[in-house]
Amino acid sequence: MNLLRVLRSVFVVALIFASAPLVLGHHEPLAKFDDKKPLRIRGVVSLVDWRNPHAHVFVNVKTGEQVSNWAVELESPIDLEANGWSKTTIQAGDQIAVTGIAARDGSRQILGKTVVMASGKPIFTVNVMPPPMPLSPQPTPKWPDGQPKLGSVSGGVQGYWAFPSATALVENGVSAPMDEWGLLKNIGDASKVAPMQPWALQLYKERQQRFLRDDPMYLNCKPPGGPRQFELGHGVQFVEDRVRQRIFVLIGSGNNNYRIVYTDGRSHQGQVGGDDENPLFYGRAVGKWQGDTLTIDTRGFNEDFWFTNGGLPHTDQLKLIEKISRPNLDTLKYDLTVDDPGAYTRPWSATWTLRWVAGKEMPRHLCQENRS
Amino acid sequence: MKRLVFALLMTASVFAAPASAQEGHPLKGSWLGTWTGNKIHGNDVLLVLSWDGKNITGTINPGTDNIAVKNATLNPEGWLVHIEADAKDKSGQPLTYTIDGKIENLPLANRVITGTWKDSHGDTGAFKIGRQ
Repeated sequence: MNLLRVLRSVFVVALIFASAPLVLGHHEPLAKFDDKKPLRIRGVVSLVDWRNPHAHVFVNVKTGEQVSNWAVELESPIDLEANGWSKTTIQAGDQIAVTGIAARDGSRQILGKTVVMASGKPIFTVNVMPPPMPLSPQPTPKWPDGQPKLGSVSGGVQGYWAFPSATALVENGVSAPMDEWGLLKNIGDASKVAPMQPWALQLYKERQQRFLRDDPMYLNCKPPGGPRQFELGHGVQFVEDRVRQRIFVLIGSGNNNYRIVYTDGRSHQGQVGGDDENPLFYGRAVGKWQGDTLTIDTRGFNEDFWFTNGGLPHTDQLKLIEKISRPNLDTLKYDLTVDDPGAYTRPWSATWTLRWVAGKEMPRHLCQENRS
Repeated sequence: MKRLVFALLMTASVFAAPASAQEGHPLKGSWLGTWTGNKIHGNDVLLVLSWDGKNITGTINPGTDNIAVKNATLNPEGWLVHIEADAKDKSGQPLTYTIDGKIENLPLANRVITGTWKDSHGDTGAFKIGRQ
């Protein structure tokens, strides 16, 4: 069988896999790549760059007598390793075929949806599935005083919260289809997403029309303050420090930061690291248990970040009321009310859930060198 | 003195780390630039603007001229900016400035407002300020 026939069969396999759902990434891929420009390349691997935030495979593609080097962008090593791949899965000299979509700027880059060896073996495909729900819900784990545990269960079994049922803010009751990064399928739905003031709506539309490419979380490693930390792919973890009366929210995505929710009755004023004159990425959060629900009141945000996937604007007048509950072992319910008279015409709410990922440590994705 | 302060500000801005974009209301913040040909208040201008959810407020050349912004609007359709401010000329007579411009490079850290200024004495010129 000559090389041409091998590669022809490879592309048949590749086309089959091309219909597979795109996996989670760390930024809106359409900011950089154009889904209207499908592309296939084949060639010889010259280098594998296995690093955050995305692995890259460089491929020498021969066209006639000319050889050009292409960059194939893949998922992060975290996601690839979770699916069984390693940096030695393919190596320099391997023949591969790649299907994907081309870069918007015409550069020799491709977002790899499938990578297939010349032998026909598919590699670097990632399928992220939520853990299966038990047939019958297991009870909410509780502290000895009956207060729900938001973190790990008794016996030291680790876990974290991920797989949010919504990955961008939309007002409750509104249907505005969007992808997992908050990019609207139809820009005409923009005004339905939330009750925005005219300037905020126009800004939101322009961010959307630029495919979210200006997102400061990806451009500058700005923290995912506000509800965004509960929308991201690598989840969150609660560490409840009951002695010091505070809850740490560890964030798996973004710049791998944490947020502190004080439950000791202090006010928003005079908190460590911030006061009224020093607005913060995570604001100043005070929490209070009301029955089985933790209600968090956060204010004092700065305006240097996007508080949600999709680019809804906010101002420093933003106040958030988050109601967090754990109705059973595997479910975290997140109810949010956004009150920002600087950007919205009235307070509005959104609700979603996260899934408990038992027995696993939260992935440690790091935004590095202003790339995420 | 005013020119010295401005020169120091300009020097500081050159050596400062690149600003990140301000992601809230597009006009909010400090703006530095020029209103070319302004014989009364000089060529250089500093503008500090704020947004309370309903109104844009601010001051032109705070600390030196302290010209309060009387009226300011932002039309999101085209990001058109209109600013009016009452000042005094060198003889102490009332003087009204009107600035009309447009925000450019809105999503970027180096967004600018370009347009024209004019005053009630009939002087006019180019106006350009950049977000600091």
